[in-house]
Amino acid sequence: MKQRKILFIIVLSLLSLTMTSCMSGGTQPAQGWAGVAYHEGVLYTGSMDGAVVVVNPATRTSEWSYDFGVVSSGGFMSCGQTSAPVAMYGTPVVDGDLVYAGLYDGRVLALSSSARRQNLSFPQMREGEWVYPKKGEVGSVVGDLVVSKDAIYVASSDGKVYSLDKVFGDLNWESDIPSEKLWKTPVIEDDTLYVSTFDGCIYSLSTKDGALLPWAFKADIGFASSPAIYQDTIFVGAFDNNLYAIKIGGNEPLWKFQGGRWFWAAPVIREGIVYAGCLDGRMYAISAETGELKWECDTQRPVASSPVWDGDLLIVANGAGEIFVLDTNARPENKVMLPVKTMSVNASVQGALCIHDDIVYVHAQDNCLYALDIARGGINWKLSLTGEEAS
Amino acid sequence: MADLWYLIILNPMLNGLIALSSTLFHSFGLAIIALTIIVRLILFPLTTKQSKSTKAMQDMQPKLQELQKKYAKNQQKLQQEMMKLYKEAGINPLGCIWPLVIQFPVWIALYQSIMKALATTPENLLNLGQHVYSWAVVAQAFPLSSHFLWLNLAQPDATLLLAIIVGGTMWVQQKMTTAPSADPRQQSTSRMMLLMMPFMFALFTMMFPSGLALFWAVSNIIGIATQYKIMGWGYLRSHSESQVVKAKKRR
Repeated sequence: MKQRKILFIIVLSLLSLTMTSCMSGGTQPAQGWAGVAYHEGVLYTGSMDGAVVVVNPATRTSEWSYDFGVVSSGGFMSCGQTSAPVAMYGTPVVDGDLVYAGLYDGRVLALSSSARRQNLSFPQMREGEWVYPKKGEVGSVVGDLVVSKDAIYVASSDGKVYSLDKVFGDLNWESDIPSEKLWKTPVIEDDTLYVSTFDGCIYSLSTKDGALLPWAFKADIGFASSPAIYQDTIFVGAFDNNLYAIKIGGNEPLWKFQGGRWFWAAPVIREGIVYAGCLDGRMYAISAETGELKWECDTQRPVASSPVWDGDLLIVANGAGEIFVLDTNARPENKVMLPVKTMSVNASVQGALCIHDDIVYVHAQDNCLYALDIARGGINWKLSLTGEEAS
Repeated sequence: MADLWYLIILNPMLNGLIALSSTLFHSFGLAIIALTIIVRLILFPLTTKQSKSTKAMQDMQPKLQELQKKYAKNQQKLQQEMMKLYKEAGINPLGCIWPLVIQFPVWIALYQSIMKALATTPENLLNLGQHVYSWAVVAQAFPLSSHFLWLNLAQPDATLLLAIIVGGTMWVQQKMTTAPSADPRQQSTSRMMLLMMPFMFALFTMMFPSGLALFWAVSNIIGIATQYKIMGWGYLRSHSESQVVKAKKRR
């Protein structure tokens, strides 16, 4: 009897531990949510299998892909997973023949399309390929890479911002930000880089040498989103569910707008209106000057990716994989905007959307790439990034 | 079902943990300790009931063994006599298991709350954003500092210290409640179990984020204190006493 009891307790303990480590209530592994980039008729994204995948939308086939390899993670209590593909959260940046990618294992890669098409070993320096760091490790890269004419700026989980030479991948400078980790994308304006931190600061850095400039903004609350700049004002979401408008050089916020949950995605601003998606499932249109609500659209599920423009149409994706097309010229009644069209990809969308020729390209969390026709209001094609055929 | 789990158990516990972190000097380690103590206090009546039932069952072991010998060839009769004995003593044989079963959802919620709040990956942080309340005390807690003493609560402890503490405290707690058996086979099984659980949890400590291991360690220490209050050092003292007697005999 006693033996049975002990065995029962052990089995129950192990079962509960196994269940809790495997079920959704436990931790989710780093899988990434890379967005989609369009360049000269080709789509670029990072798959959840840990690879840059380049797709030709005309033929709906992969032109080339580059596998980042795996990192060790978990153990037998993490459902048997001992290694996992390297995740990619940012959108690849394409410049001519080169594709830049920041990875969760801390590497920044410059991949040459011509070298990758031939499947040559990486890096082919003669083709302009490089990897940073060449030795050692830096912190995970979660935000997008910021690319200027000569340099690439990377915010890292080790609390540093790195400036890399675009051609050779050498370190131009590194700047220690007084923050534990940087997961959000910096924004560049003139010769200044603005970085928002989880502990509630916005720092300004010189792009020339990485020196911290005199102006910094300190809030009482941490910032949850990347900053966006419009007419010398920074718009950024915070952990207190507010969207803040902060005049560059000022010490107090111009205004703050209360949402139902965090503003996780960076807002976009056009013609004096801030369009901000919120994890409460709403897309808010707010006056950039006063912080007054113009309208809101309830998508019912969290909005974690920034909206994109197709002319005057605003395209919004939510956590259920629904794509909403909003006509920003419409005059909504009672400030409630209704979508002119909705489409669905049936999988959560967290990465950046991409639009070209009235087609929205979406990399959803089912690891598929979707092409959605805005005019028709439906899916044109779907391509699994794990290697299956397009449908 | 999953929504109910989040609504009734997980979200309140998660937000309570984050709010505690905010009030306890922005220390997530202290918040884990405080919440473990609070949960232990809430579950104290159940724990007491479970301990008392376990002790009563152990006290009955000699009588049960007698019955097992007596009715070794008649299982049906043995069951009947055992049930009669339980009834006479006013013991429910499952009495020490049900309180444990009832406590499990709470422990699972506490485990999940710690893992969720630590938000070790971007996916977890984004997911956390959908579960936190819009209380100022919760918002002010972010970002949760994962540093506590020598530990990074989001990572397994690189030293062996926490694994030793978890394994050691678990052994002590188990030893206090495991009665020595006259049956050599049962005795060897008990001895194996007594070592296996602490060893496994020490192993988990080296694999899981140390925030979770901190919860195990604190939980064990409170468990030891609770056991001590109910039945003293229990079989831990009798074990050490028998060791002393053996040593004296050897001399």
